[in-house]
Amino acid sequence: MRQAGTYSGLLAGGMSGRSGPHSLPLARIKKIMKKSGDDVKMISGEAPIVFSKACELFIEELTQRSWMVTMQGKRRTLHKEDVASAVIGTDIFDFLVNLVSDSNHSQDTTPTGTNT
Amino acid sequence: MVQNIGSSASNNEDCIKEQDLLLPIANVGRIMKQILPSNAKISKEAKETMQECVSEFISFVTSEASEKCRKERRKTVNGDDVCWAMGTLGFDDYAGPLKRYLQRYRELEGDRTNQDKAGNNEEKDEPSPYGDNQPRNQAVSAPLLKFNAIERNDGSTSRPF
Repeated sequence: MRQAGTYSGLLAGGMSGRSGPHSLPLARIKKIMKKSGDDVKMISGEAPIVFSKACELFIEELTQRSWMVTMQGKRRTLHKEDVASAVIGTDIFDFLVNLVSDSNHSQDTTPTGTNT
Repeated sequence: MVQNIGSSASNNEDCIKEQDLLLPIANVGRIMKQILPSNAKISKEAKETMQECVSEFISFVTSEASEKCRKERRKTVNGDDVCWAMGTLGFDDYAGPLKRYLQRYRELEGDRTNQDKAGNNEEKDEPSPYGDNQPRNQAVSAPLLKFNAIERNDGSTSRPF
């Protein structure tokens, strides 16, 4: 499996900020952070940088889990239903359950027992 | 503000969630692609769903971190708060690597803002893409960040922009 190195996202691309290249835009991350609540007032410069790494890890984990569902279906294209199944089957992704259910019209689809 | 609403056969997002702000689909898609086998394909809707999940993840963790700051009467959410929040919310596997990542970042930033310490490096004429020949950065010899900016410390305008 072709897997990116831990810091490959950092080395790719040019300098995008004070501290070097990141694979996700820091300004956008900061905006999303600010929108998360009214009591989020000030954000240190390092917080979006931590998130840029954390989001990579998150995307990687959710993608890998989704892919396992895809493979169970003997398919090679990852669909959003696979993401939904991975979310439902993973405890720490409970906060996403409503998000994937709302965008998943086939509510009569019972989750395949992908409990991890 | 970019909104990625799937306009094809998928549903209408008439209940727009708070995370209208999404990370770029190209970046998200690239990270997804890199972790999958080379013959894997990813549907556009899956990428869009992932975008939404990431934004929700950021909001979720930020709320927790922000609440901690509020309780401790601090105004600024910093990197430690973010790391702590991840650990609290069950992302223990992330917390460890993130803390190390943050520590390295702080070491580098501390070195950058210390102009007198940067004098050690100004004697080097050749710019090195990686900091493995900088004696004071041995702790970060792994190419965590590009060190080009340090080599350009010939004045106060050491930052790229």
